[in-house]
Amino acid sequence: MTQAASTIAHADLPPAPTGPRRTALQRQRARVGIAMAAPAFLLVAVLLGGPIIEAVYYSMTQWDGLTTTWIGPSTYTHELHNPFFWRVLQNNGLLLLAVPVAVAIPFGIAVLLNARVPGWRVFRSIYFLPTAISWVVIGMVALRFFAAEGSLNGILQAVGLGAIHTDLLSSERSALFAVAITFVWSMVGTNTIIFLTGMATLDLSLAEAARVDGASGWQILLRITLPQLRRFIQFSVVMTLISAFTALFSLIFVMTGGGPGFGTTTLEFFVYQTAFANTDFGTGAMLGVILFLIMSVIGIVQVRLLRTDD
Amino acid sequence: MATVDANAVAVRPRRRRPRRRTALLLALMVAIAVVMLYPFWFMVDTSLHSNDAFLHGGPRSLVSWRKLLDALPVGHELWNSTVVCTASIAIIVFVSTMAGFAFAKLRFRAATFVFLAIVAALMIPIQSIIIPAFINLADWQLLGSYTGAVLMYAALGTPFATFLMTAYFRSLPDDVIEAGIIDGLSYAAVFRRIALPMAVPAIVTVGVLQFIQIWDDLLVGLLLLQNLDDRTITVGLGALAAGRTTDIPVLMAGSLLSAIPAIVVYLVFQRYLVNGLTAGIGK
Repeated sequence: MTQAASTIAHADLPPAPTGPRRTALQRQRARVGIAMAAPAFLLVAVLLGGPIIEAVYYSMTQWDGLTTTWIGPSTYTHELHNPFFWRVLQNNGLLLLAVPVAVAIPFGIAVLLNARVPGWRVFRSIYFLPTAISWVVIGMVALRFFAAEGSLNGILQAVGLGAIHTDLLSSERSALFAVAITFVWSMVGTNTIIFLTGMATLDLSLAEAARVDGASGWQILLRITLPQLRRFIQFSVVMTLISAFTALFSLIFVMTGGGPGFGTTTLEFFVYQTAFANTDFGTGAMLGVILFLIMSVIGIVQVRLLRTDD
Repeated sequence: MATVDANAVAVRPRRRRPRRRTALLLALMVAIAVVMLYPFWFMVDTSLHSNDAFLHGGPRSLVSWRKLLDALPVGHELWNSTVVCTASIAIIVFVSTMAGFAFAKLRFRAATFVFLAIVAALMIPIQSIIIPAFINLADWQLLGSYTGAVLMYAALGTPFATFLMTAYFRSLPDDVIEAGIIDGLSYAAVFRRIALPMAVPAIVTVGVLQFIQIWDDLLVGLLLLQNLDDRTITVGLGALAAGRTTDIPVLMAGSLLSAIPAIVVYLVFQRYLVNGLTAGIGK
């Protein structure tokens, strides 16, 4: 998903030979090429491309999976008057506040690892380990961690803060906060790896020259290192943004079921709830289309940013 | 890069790192490691207690693991996960290596357009298409077996795999292909006998990345594996959690069991996974 935009920005396949004087070999090559590309294209067109067009059609119908009644684009304006829809979007908005944190902490960790203290490779492996774990498993543990009788309160008690008794999952806002913390934790591995990869590409001679000229550590970080890492920071922000919008279904499904109330229902979870729990396929399809539009905007912005980079 | 490092060392003899700074960095890294490893420790520790011992304190035992094996078809679900992952990855590798080779080396007129069309599908979130896809696959009678889910996983993994394979084959020199053709091989034979063996590292990257994604997925399996006997371990676990089972140690044993294969793959193929995750950054 994330990779799409950067790929499009860098997509410049060599041109195909054209004109009347193509040799027999070139024609054969083109034929083989089309045949070899066809299976991938068909798979994607039938199972992803077709459904997104169907989704737009269904979004303008009243549809419970059996009977379809055409209504038209007014379904969209109608949804704008649904207070739950705005509540759900608000949850997405609040989750976005976690994105800077989910990028900044791994950046700090990457700086730490990049100091190459003996044994740093082991720590890198440990920090990256959660990347292999399912959101289902993460949600399962997080549920126990934040529960009233869970580990968080145990830890608070152990360090003498037993007076602070938390029960984050029992009220709407605090439950979303707990989901956000879990989300930040889960992004540490991926983002740390992105920044470590970036730091390995740094031209150290620039920082060295600045140091010789008397620049301080902070100045070097702000003026030289950060600008050199711009592309990696962008990539990490977009990756995190996309995860916040589209990767949290399983986590929410296991951890809170979208509740309490609509407290942790995000747009992607709302699609599932509307379509499969309330069997309102038409509205579900519409919410899916809205999610797709939001993602497209993020993708287009990313392509723009990368293009201006080059 | 290496030469820069070498020069720096030559000009400025390496300073001995101050001990106190090293100790501080190490302490920080250990603290972070504790935070990252805590859930794993929690799963191991909790699963080694009976429910009663977990709630009210008590000695460790294997009671919960035995209960897990009795209560849930974990062996069968692990097998389902393996079948679904293997079949999906096989399809992804099959179509993406061919398409990548075609886009990179067999330049036909619509190549750029078709390539962009496939890669643009990366922008489609699964939630946006799951409803029509669900209806279509139900119409085609594919929800009662692995087939519907396998096809969906394959379609979802193909765009990025195609991007990766195209990039990889583009880095192979054209001469290699032309030499094969001059030797009298067909394009298909050049692909099979020359290009494909050279692409093994990229294929491993695609396989590892997809394995972890498919093994860990809940949504597609939950909706497209309608037959309870076809459920993967992650879906079985997700359904169990949603049922609000109160036996936490059994849940933790299940979580740990479901995570182990992905952890093993991660530990063995860590380098490839990192390559795959950072491949999208571009040049």
